[in-house]
Amino acid sequence: MSEEYNVMELMTILASRDIEDKKIIYVGTGIPMLVTSLAQKTRNLKITPIFEVGGIGPEMPTLPLSVACSRTTWRALRAADSAEAFEIAQAGFADYAFLGGAQIDKYGNLNSTVLGDYHAPKVRFPGSGGANAFASFAWKTMIIMNHEKRRFVEKTDYITSPGYLDGPGSREKVGLPPGTGPYKVYTTRGTFDFDEKTKRMRLFALNPKVTVEDVVENTGFELILPSKIKDNDPPSREELRILREEVDPYRIILGRGEA
Amino acid sequence: MEMKILERGTQFARPKITPNDFREWNRDNKPREMIDKVMDAKTAVKKFMKDGDIISISGCSFVRIPVAILHEVVRQGIKDLYVGCGTRSIDVNFLTDNGLVSHLDPGYIIGLEVLGLPKMSRKIVEQAVTKGEITLTEWDNASMAWRHKAAAMGIPFMPVRHMMGSDTFKYSGAVKVQCPFTDEEVVLVPALFTDVALIHVHESDIYGNARITSGAIVEDWGKVRGSKRVILSTEKIVDTEVIRKESDRTFVPYFYVDAVVEAPYGSHPGNMPGMYYVDIEHLIEYRKACEDTTGKALKEYYNNYVFGVDSFEEYLEKIGGKKKLKFLEDLEFLKVKPGGFS
Repeated sequence: MSEEYNVMELMTILASRDIEDKKIIYVGTGIPMLVTSLAQKTRNLKITPIFEVGGIGPEMPTLPLSVACSRTTWRALRAADSAEAFEIAQAGFADYAFLGGAQIDKYGNLNSTVLGDYHAPKVRFPGSGGANAFASFAWKTMIIMNHEKRRFVEKTDYITSPGYLDGPGSREKVGLPPGTGPYKVYTTRGTFDFDEKTKRMRLFALNPKVTVEDVVENTGFELILPSKIKDNDPPSREELRILREEVDPYRIILGRGEA
Repeated sequence: MEMKILERGTQFARPKITPNDFREWNRDNKPREMIDKVMDAKTAVKKFMKDGDIISISGCSFVRIPVAILHEVVRQGIKDLYVGCGTRSIDVNFLTDNGLVSHLDPGYIIGLEVLGLPKMSRKIVEQAVTKGEITLTEWDNASMAWRHKAAAMGIPFMPVRHMMGSDTFKYSGAVKVQCPFTDEEVVLVPALFTDVALIHVHESDIYGNARITSGAIVEDWGKVRGSKRVILSTEKIVDTEVIRKESDRTFVPYFYVDAVVEAPYGSHPGNMPGMYYVDIEHLIEYRKACEDTTGKALKEYYNNYVFGVDSFEEYLEKIGGKKKLKFLEDLEFLKVKPGGFS
């Protein structure tokens, strides 16, 4: 039995289920904090979160409001600086990183910088933050996005963080560390992965009450549709309870799913 | 093997301050003697900042930010600033909201992270960029951290293994080269030597021997050690004996620092790890003022909290005085529940 939930709750829960135990995870601001915290609380994982400005292995007693706030170093193993945090990732310790964005294309390239002309922006977003480095260094990049046609586009207005760029081999060709790249995308409509050969985005699983047609209609590029598509289980009562009561009791981020 | 330049960012330019400029500055302008540098914020900003300066700001977003100093910069109207912006937020908005910035090196700008996006601040930056009043060189938080670090090391650039393939590289001032040792492609990011670093810490003696006693260091080793001038504000002035007893806890020694400003609660409305938490209500008040995209409410915010007061002490009274500050101290240690999220 499941109860009502919003899309933010759903995406958070689906992504947190996929977090692997005993790994180092780079946590950016916003939803990634929810996902990591939920995974720690529901599944009691021995994961080490790292925050880009220096927090290494904190306990996060409450939802951090910033990547630097004292919750990101609360009973942490080390309070380092930004250079060190990124150097750890550059040296190959970043197993997972979580990213979001305003636009994504079929190769998982992400835009979180600008809509429209760079020099005369229609909308200016905060910019890369840690995203570009996370997307370059993490062995597996997880992406969380609202699934709308204007966001899932053939070509992003700007590439803030590299996905598979122009397709197979292009990350390596420009000099990015090999063996890295987008791994999964969690959206309001489903879960997606990337085809090993073409590096194009592929529908992996559908969210409850969502159809393939629904997904295709709301995607601005051609998705790979495999013959077998899984169904994502709806959030359990326990997942929702922990998320609502322990992870984000003030609905600071979860509240955005009500819009 | 020679080092081949493969690609340049469109903002590639000769740095305004080179490693040799910096060395010579440090030879000629930084006293080796431990002298009393304590002064108030007004004097420090007047003495050590000028229009057109390249600056950096301590902490990140709304954590360990030098608000007492920034308010003074806004009151004195120091303008035409070039600002390094690895994860900046309300601190840089204070400057852009008041038209004091001519160049940004983002990183991260405008947003209040989890607490949302202030619309008016965003509009001001969008319009200034479109009109050419603010120029941009795009970076990311890692390259900004390493640019500060390179400056601290006194070297011209740092080789890094990200940025390639992205528009973050295209609109940056970086170059891509072939590594002379491994043949791999690497990106070189130029050191960011600054004119002034505005830094807030937990403790300092009167000479500028300073400590950050809790929380992430962010890019602040690089910001202090890569700047010609450092204005340091501190929650507390401590005796040098405190520093000498545990020298492994010293964040930076005195000779980097030019001014020591005593500023209790000097990061408000930001968090000071280990002392007081984020003033959520105040940040939401600021964000709400930014909902009014005529700019009127935001002007009122500044007239009330910055131009309407003479000192940071007066500001602290305005935001709720001792009672509010005690609440934020309790909030830091989870003794009370937060409020004011909406």
